[in-house]
Amino acid sequence: MGVITDNLPGVLEPLPGGSVLVTAVDQLINWSRSNSLWPLTFGTSCCAIEMMMATGAARHDMARFGAEVARPSPRQADLLVIAGTIVKRMAPRLRTLYEQMAEPRYVMATGSCAICGGPFMYHSYTTIRGADEIIPVDVYVPGCPPRPEAFFYGLLTLQKMIREGESIRHPGERRRPVLAALPEGMTLDDIRKEMQDLLSHDANVNMTDAAAEGAHYSAELKDF
Amino acid sequence: MDAPNLIAAVQALQPDATVRAQSDRPTLIVPAHALVALATRLRDDPALRFDLLETHTAVDWLDEDRLELLYLLTSVPLGHHLTLSVSVDRDAPLVPTLCKVYPIAEWLEREAYDMFGILYDDHPDLRRLFLEDDWVGFPLRKDYEDDFMLERPE
Ligand code: SF4
Repeated sequence: MGVITDNLPGVLEPLPGGSVLVTAVDQLINWSRSNSLWPLTFGTSCCAIEMMMATGAARHDMARFGAEVARPSPRQADLLVIAGTIVKRMAPRLRTLYEQMAEPRYVMATGSCAICGGPFMYHSYTTIRGADEIIPVDVYVPGCPPRPEAFFYGLLTLQKMIREGESIRHPGERRRPVLAALPEGMTLDDIRKEMQDLLSHDANVNMTDAAAEGAHYSAELKDF
Repeated sequence: MDAPNLIAAVQALQPDATVRAQSDRPTLIVPAHALVALATRLRDDPALRFDLLETHTAVDWLDEDRLELLYLLTSVPLGHHLTLSVSVDRDAPLVPTLCKVYPIAEWLEREAYDMFGILYDDHPDLRRLFLEDDWVGFPLRKDYEDDFMLERPE
């Protein structure tokens, strides 16, 4: 099929009918999705304050992961961070906000309140016991409130999920929700190192991997 | 004005006001019917000038069968504080509104109505503030229960 396909056998994939589909596009799209998470400006209580301090300030700046463009309109946002207590009065509004966001949309529940009602689980007339009673959640970040490291661990987890998740090949496929609790023995230095690694090489699309994956799919298609 | 002088000055205006024990600000217990007149004089008296109703809330004393209403007053120019305490019957919690004296009282009283079911006589707009309009019951009363609430397993 010509020079390009010969040189990049894995990247371009022959399809019936003679057209070509760039399989690396999947990876590229997921990479760009995971690195341009625009959070919705939404927060309900103490966790939201913590999150704003954690993500907006210099030391743990969220901008390094392409997620600093907080959007006041759900139409432009694709990450909903549920930071804080959700009460009965808020629940329908939260649902509306979620529904107004365009696909693909991702939800992080940070803090005990958003996970299960937290300190207000018992004897509360109004606290919703977990945001997942209202909307689907992708990543849970435990803590009351979560430390900035924990929040970033959750964000990194979400980015990983996005990269491995839905693609052109597997539309509509979403990963099961995960609990992004800091693993036992994980220290701040480990997280810093993970962030460093991520920033140094993971932020580039790995064309070798993409080509290998493309070749794999091409072979599969031929068998088929 | 310091606390003893303040209490003496208010008691001069309202002789039947008694000092509430166990309170960290000067607190006076006053009868409900005297509330509006007293608040007006506290606001307008040049030596007191309580121009700010800082907050208004209530306490449910279930075993004493009364609701205690607390009005936290502050004088911004003179920098002193005073709390007024009014007790009402739990079953007939009717007090006059302070809206005419302090306009902020309108919403503070709506909140107290929302949470404790206190009825404010002559209030212009006594609706729920935080909860839905069709909410049944007053959740900050100690005997409030509903189906949604979870009991803590022992
Ligand atoms: S989890 Fe803790 S810090 Fe977060 S909103 Fe709930 S009470 Fe506040």
